[in-house]
Amino acid sequence: MIGNQVALIRRELWEHRSIYVTPIVIALIVSVMTMTGQVLVSTIDKAVDIAILGATNMGEKERSIAMTVLLSGVSSVLILAMWVLTIFYSLDALYAERKDRSILLWRSLPVTDAETVISKLLTALVVIPLVTFAVIAVTHLVVLVLASIWLSVRGANVWHLIWGSAPLVDNWTGTLISMLALPLWLSPFIGWFLFVSAFTKRSPLLVAFLPIVILPMLEKSLVGTTLFFEAFFLRSGTIPLFGGLSTGEILRYDTHGLRIDGEVPSGLLSLLDLSGFFGSPSLWLGLVVCGLFVTAAIYVRRYRDDS
Amino acid sequence: MTSLVSARNVSKTFGSLRAVDDVSFDIGQGRIMGLIGPNGAGKTTLLKAVLGLTDCEGNLSVLGLDPFRQRKELLRHISFIADVAVLPRWIRVNQLLDFVESVHPGFSRDRAKELLSRTKIRPKSKIRELSKGMVTQLHLSIISAIDAKLLVLDEPTLGLDIIFRKEFYGNLLNDYFDKERTILITTHQVEEIENLLTDVMFINDGRIVLHASMDALPERYVELMTSGENAERARRLNPIFERDVFGKKVLTFEGVGRDQLHGLGELRTPGIADLFVAKVKGAAA
Repeated sequence: MIGNQVALIRRELWEHRSIYVTPIVIALIVSVMTMTGQVLVSTIDKAVDIAILGATNMGEKERSIAMTVLLSGVSSVLILAMWVLTIFYSLDALYAERKDRSILLWRSLPVTDAETVISKLLTALVVIPLVTFAVIAVTHLVVLVLASIWLSVRGANVWHLIWGSAPLVDNWTGTLISMLALPLWLSPFIGWFLFVSAFTKRSPLLVAFLPIVILPMLEKSLVGTTLFFEAFFLRSGTIPLFGGLSTGEILRYDTHGLRIDGEVPSGLLSLLDLSGFFGSPSLWLGLVVCGLFVTAAIYVRRYRDDS
Repeated sequence: MTSLVSARNVSKTFGSLRAVDDVSFDIGQGRIMGLIGPNGAGKTTLLKAVLGLTDCEGNLSVLGLDPFRQRKELLRHISFIADVAVLPRWIRVNQLLDFVESVHPGFSRDRAKELLSRTKIRPKSKIRELSKGMVTQLHLSIISAIDAKLLVLDEPTLGLDIIFRKEFYGNLLNDYFDKERTILITTHQVEEIENLLTDVMFINDGRIVLHASMDALPERYVELMTSGENAERARRLNPIFERDVFGKKVLTFEGVGRDQLHGLGELRTPGIADLFVAKVKGAAA
């Protein structure tokens, strides 16, 4: 069973090279942008470049917060890309094998339909986040190394200003936890996409998103309620993982100009509210919905006769 | 003779269409069974039922297992090609071998390598870089490297040139087949496998119209080539089918002794293709 899962997941990585190609390409773009950003900003105003990374006129805590904001900024671009990738992967997972008829080969080997579908679910829930996380960690190091080079050229002490105040362990642990939590929170969508890719005869993207758009509209105009709207759209924005803190509160603009709020926790990890996340009934309800869709996908793959 | 496949009153319906209609048969261990039938006769549906790919009514047992409900267990002991050229285009040859090796306990990688070394297929190639014939060669090499009690081939040589087809069947008989193994095969190119088979089964409109061992055919069937007066006399013995060949009449008889037809013309055992036409068209007439 476990041996089969390893083989099946390895097969997913062979087939869907975008799982690692996409984050790597985006990471390269982000690294280049961070570097050009630093250079550009510092040509405009000499004081500002240092404000981004390791400003000398900031305290330890502010520097650490600034660093967290920078690292999390890099992460969030890649996490957004990961979510787009997960959508396309899930919609393709059980559709491509039917389109190229290779399902006939896969089903001629001693692997159950449940094992196959679960390997695809695990790829979406765990493998894609882990691969993206590895790319994020490397990108953080690249960005910091590039910044160090730039700052040391300008004569700053990078060991103190950058590496001394980069909360890497804290940031990486927090990022990894959020990245594993996000797909769980959005798992009903992943289950729905897998189910669509198992049954649809054409254009899985359209078939998957039409109901997501049309159902809330129908509900609003026919019944007047907004239950579907809340379930579909509010869910994606309100993951109960970050203790209600919004990023807008970190930066303050007042009479002293733009500054970082000294009251906010400096690390990413301390922002996470795991008991709130795992205690949320919405999470568990979502996992049940995901389980139902995945069961339906297994059933369709097993009983459908494509001949 | 142990029965490897045993079907009792097996049916499969799609809506109002009875694709397989109340079929019963046995396939013994160590036999090579040819399943012959026109397109849409129910061959593929029957094979799918045997392989556990589709559910059916009636009692069907393969290696003592219920193929649909115990499919994974069954697939450890059988190997099959459901259709040629369905290997995924993105995979590399050695990746495919890796995958089969890790999920199939009966797969011998050394054997597959040995078979592939006789072809032009390189381990690093992607499937999309191979010609259609090479893809089939690869697929056949993989399933031939699986130590299976039952091998099922559905149109295995479709689209291949004659040299490769001859080679494939030669290898199948010399290298693969032994008394422990059983092969179930369908093809349109009946003539090519005629000498290979030990048993033959005709299927038409979902029903079995003939099921016999090849050894029994000469006793049961005889073809008479004749003309004129003799043809008239032969017709009184109720041939199942009659056709014209070069101005002569060819009559096919079932269960008529050769001594009864003696002196009426040239006698011979019908080939499978002719016999098939006689059974199917004769029944329709």
